[in-house]
Amino acid sequence: MFPKLDPLLHSELRLAVMSLLAGVDSADFTFLKNQTGATSGNLSVQIDKLCSAGYLSVEKGFKGKMPCTTCRITPAGLEAFNQYVQALKEYLK
Amino acid sequence: MEQNKEMTAQESLKLISETLNNSRKSILRNHAKYYVLWGSLLTIFSLVIYLLWHSTGKASWNLLWFAMPVFGYLFAWLLSKKDAALPESFVGNLTGKVWALFGLFSVVLSAIAVFIVPMPITFTIILLLGLAESITGVILKNWPVIVCGLIVGIGGAVAATLLKTEAQLLLFTFGGIILAATGLIVKLQYK
Repeated sequence: MFPKLDPLLHSELRLAVMSLLAGVDSADFTFLKNQTGATSGNLSVQIDKLCSAGYLSVEKGFKGKMPCTTCRITPAGLEAFNQYVQALKEYLK
Repeated sequence: MEQNKEMTAQESLKLISETLNNSRKSILRNHAKYYVLWGSLLTIFSLVIYLLWHSTGKASWNLLWFAMPVFGYLFAWLLSKKDAALPESFVGNLTGKVWALFGLFSVVLSAIAVFIVPMPITFTIILLLGLAESITGVILKNWPVIVCGLIVGIGGAVAATLLKTEAQLLLFTFGGIILAATGLIVKLQYK
């Protein structure tokens, strides 16, 4: 029996965001937007969903005079991401 | 990128792998410019001090070395203003700390050598420079950088014991060129 895939991560944009954040300490919104090619609105909605699930933490601040939103993967998010990757590997066996 | 696109397991794994890889590349490509900056500064300072020392015969021109970190950190700060959108990464932080420690060791040892206890400073710093570069290569998993570090560190240390007075400064010119080349190698590798 195949393990169930986390529906929150089984979405192209949310998975890309989680993959980006799994490889760095933190990243700001502009970097995520540039790397995923998503629109600001869409990306913002998906980040909110991941935050609500406790997978990401978001910190709003300023860099100089410019507003800056910094995203960071949480330990729960990293655990969910690792389980998702393991489940994918099971599917491909 | 679509949020609701149905993906197969293979597509998902491909997306994860490509995303991680692209992110790593953009971070490391950005770091390359700092190697070019410090390598260029090292080359210019060593050549200028060598020429001044050679033409006047005064070793006190070596005090100009203490201006290099001032220029270096100023230019690095100006360059970093363009990095606002880049994330902090473990690899980036680690290599940054290795070079910050190299800078600290070099400045403190140079100050001690000039003002307190004379010591073979060229030998010590060229060895540290090569070591820092090789460690960077190990962190980046980049063989050309590791080898460049070995050449600068071991070759430089041997040459420093053979060369005398201002001729030793040319070792830093060589080290600077290799450091700048390291930046270009990293930039090309992660293009």
